[in-house]
Amino acid sequence: MGRSLKKGPFVDESLYLRVERLNQQSKREPLKTWARRCTIVPEFIGHTFKVHNGRAFLDVFVTEDMVGHKLGEFSHTRLFRGHTNKKEGIEGGEKGS
Amino acid sequence: MPRIAGIDVPERKPIRYALQYIHGIGEKIADDILRETNIDPAKRAGTLNESEVTAIAGFVDANLIVEGALRRQTSQNIQRLKDTRSYRGERHRKGLPCRGQRTRTNARTRKGRKKTVAGKKGVKG
Repeated sequence: MGRSLKKGPFVDESLYLRVERLNQQSKREPLKTWARRCTIVPEFIGHTFKVHNGRAFLDVFVTEDMVGHKLGEFSHTRLFRGHTNKKEGIEGGEKGS
Repeated sequence: MPRIAGIDVPERKPIRYALQYIHGIGEKIADDILRETNIDPAKRAGTLNESEVTAIAGFVDANLIVEGALRRQTSQNIQRLKDTRSYRGERHRKGLPCRGQRTRTNARTRKGRKKTVAGKKGVKG
C-alpha cells in the first residue's frame, strides 16, 4: 500500500518551513493550512494546525501518536447526521451541507 | 503434549499445521520456525522430543509476538487511531471499513448482517 521508501515521506515544503521558523523562536501558534496531504513529522509535535476540510479550518493538535499520518486524516470532510426517519419526515437526513 | 507459547496444545497433526493453531502463526511463520529450528514439518506434534519442543518454544519467545500479546498490540493500535480522532479511528468506532472500500453495497464483514429498513423498496425519491 505504501509509498516508495526511496522518496521518503511527503512533507509540504512551505508548511515545514513555517513550522521550523516557529520552532526556532520556540513559539506556538495555529498554522492555517490546506496541505492535508502533508505527512506529520516529529517536528510538528505540539503545534496546532488549522487544517482545511473543504469548508472550514479544523483545529488539529498534533501529538506524538499522530506522527506518520497525514494532516488530512484528522480533519474530517464528511458530516453524517444519521439516516432519515420515515415517521418523522425528513428529520436529520441530508449528508454534507 | 507439546506446549508452545503458553497454553496451546495442538497434537496429532503435523507440526507445520499444529503450530498454526497459535494466534499469530500462519503458514509462512510456521515454515520459518521449522526452517530455523531444523525440524521436519511433517512430523506429528505429539512425537516431538523434549529438545525440539524447547527449540520451537525458544524461537517463538525470542522472535514472535503471539496470542495475548499480539491481541493486545492489535487492539492498542486500534485504540490509538480512535484516540487521535483520525479518520481510520472514526471508521473503527462506527464499525465500517476503514480502507476506503465502498459501503453503498457490500461491506458486510464490517457492518454485520443486513439490517432491512422498511419501505426502502422501489424508486427513490
